[in-house]
Amino acid sequence: MASVVIAVSTKMLSHNRMRFVMTVTGIAIAFFLAAAQIGLLVGWVNTNSAIINNAGVDIWVMAKETRTIDYGTAIPRQRIQQVRSVEGVSWAEGMLVGWINWQHPEGKNITVEVIGLDTSNAGGPWKLIEGNLESMHLPKTVIVDELSKNALGVSQIGDSAEMQGKRATIGGFSQEVRTFTAAPFIFTSIKNALEYVPYYRDDEISYVLARIKPNTDILAVRDRVADEVSNVEVLTTAEFAVRSVKYWMLETGVGITVIITAVLGLLVGAVIMSQTLFAITQDHIGNYATLLALGFHQKTLRQIVLAQSITLGGLGIIVGLILFFLACNASARSPIPLETTTTVTTGLVAFSLLCCIASSWFSIRAIFKLDPVSVFHG
Amino acid sequence: MKSILTCQGITKNYGAGDIIEKVLKPVDLEFFEGQASVLIGPSGSGKTTLLSILGCLLAPSEGQLLIAEQGVNFSDKSSLTEVRRQKLGFIFQHAQLLPFLTIEENLAIVGRNAGLDETDIKQRLDNLLQRLELRAMRYKHPNQLSGGQRQRVAIARALLHRPSIVLADEPTAALDWQTGKTVVELLLEQARLEKAVLVVVTHDTRMLPLFDRILSIADGLLSEQQQTATTDNTFYTQS
Repeated sequence: MASVVIAVSTKMLSHNRMRFVMTVTGIAIAFFLAAAQIGLLVGWVNTNSAIINNAGVDIWVMAKETRTIDYGTAIPRQRIQQVRSVEGVSWAEGMLVGWINWQHPEGKNITVEVIGLDTSNAGGPWKLIEGNLESMHLPKTVIVDELSKNALGVSQIGDSAEMQGKRATIGGFSQEVRTFTAAPFIFTSIKNALEYVPYYRDDEISYVLARIKPNTDILAVRDRVADEVSNVEVLTTAEFAVRSVKYWMLETGVGITVIITAVLGLLVGAVIMSQTLFAITQDHIGNYATLLALGFHQKTLRQIVLAQSITLGGLGIIVGLILFFLACNASARSPIPLETTTTVTTGLVAFSLLCCIASSWFSIRAIFKLDPVSVFHG
Repeated sequence: MKSILTCQGITKNYGAGDIIEKVLKPVDLEFFEGQASVLIGPSGSGKTTLLSILGCLLAPSEGQLLIAEQGVNFSDKSSLTEVRRQKLGFIFQHAQLLPFLTIEENLAIVGRNAGLDETDIKQRLDNLLQRLELRAMRYKHPNQLSGGQRQRVAIARALLHRPSIVLADEPTAALDWQTGKTVVELLLEQARLEKAVLVVVTHDTRMLPLFDRILSIADGLLSEQQQTATTDNTFYTQS
């Protein structure tokens, strides 16, 4: 019976080629719309947890109630030594985050996020395309991302500008270090950063970054640090990344907007699909009645409608997916990249296909109501 | 002769309570192997209702329908579909071929639905297309055929799975007289060759001499006419 279902469903669909192409295109666009929103969400999630995830450390120590890496507040520098002395910790260094003004060579002021790094540069840029990471430790030297060149008004190593009224010289350019807040990241040493950021004292930092000894239970070390170091909050890298993402995505409302748009995209696709499938079923209702009269089971007719929804949905999703991957590729080096993961893509495809199948419900209902005797009435 | 199709006291009423319309008054009929019957009557007389009941598409209000001496269970939709799938062939007024399939595909899906194997389907298809002079049309779509050719395809489709009963609802209504006559002659010839019971509904009284039996229906009351007689005899009906 599968051969009958496939033959009838595909020929019925392709009989009106223009409508077939338009439907697949409509579903592809709707899928792309939804995928692009999800891709934007994934891109944002990756962006606002990128520094945390690329720091290569296990534990983050911070002031209590720190909601995201961008809003770190001052803790005493001596916390670094205190963390180092906790059993299970193999290494610890500091990191400073502050917000100040950068004066563009054209005169305008823009807000930047300064990241001050310790000796081993943990938490710094993970991909450098020009210059040397160590140049950050030279006086008044900073590293910025290539995506920020225009915003900061710099174009090459050696260019300089004023940051909080003090000179800052470009020592290198990083790549793919995007900012979620629209304020470009300025990487430099803690020592330099303390000169630029006025509201930090010389013995203050924002974070202590720690690595644990091999074969040590990370949660046990986290809890020990929290017990032994006073007035701080201690999170694993994964926990801090989730907290940062949650803050930007949920507490600010940005993420909800993107999620709603993605769901709307999928719903639009489902409605296009449902309408078209219903129109096709209605166009062929006489043919379905004929098939029923000729002894085709209701089940076979339902399978025909389902096969059509899977064919239309499947083709639309494939085309939409190709468009989405092309868009991901094209936006890879832009400030707002579309990104995805295997799990996200699989989930999106499965959900979209389910929407397509669900959208055949109205058509299947029409088949259920069909009386084969109607074939004798024209 | 072997009895294939039997109606025992079949009636059909529409409506409920005080407003009941008796569309079909008790019908007792028996159809035999290879027998060709024509059903005539004015519009609204109950022809299509009777044909729908014989085709297991409509449940009678009372009475029983037997196919090959087996009672048909009208309350079980699945078993009705099975009966239609295996034992019945239909020819409709406008052929009702699937417009998106070729002639060959229109026929093949009926064979596949009836469970015939591909070799058997191919043989039956070749044989019927040759007998009905449709070989050249094999790969064409219904809209590329004339009305007469489409009805010939409908005949092939009705016979492909070797049904024991073939029912035709005004198969010549959309055709000119000469084409209609040719179609009916072909239908009779092929049904007799297959030894199928043939029941044809028509308005065209010029076709009557071609059939073995003439059944007439008026106001739901069925009667059988003698081929040579001019008066009606109500052999199988009761008021």
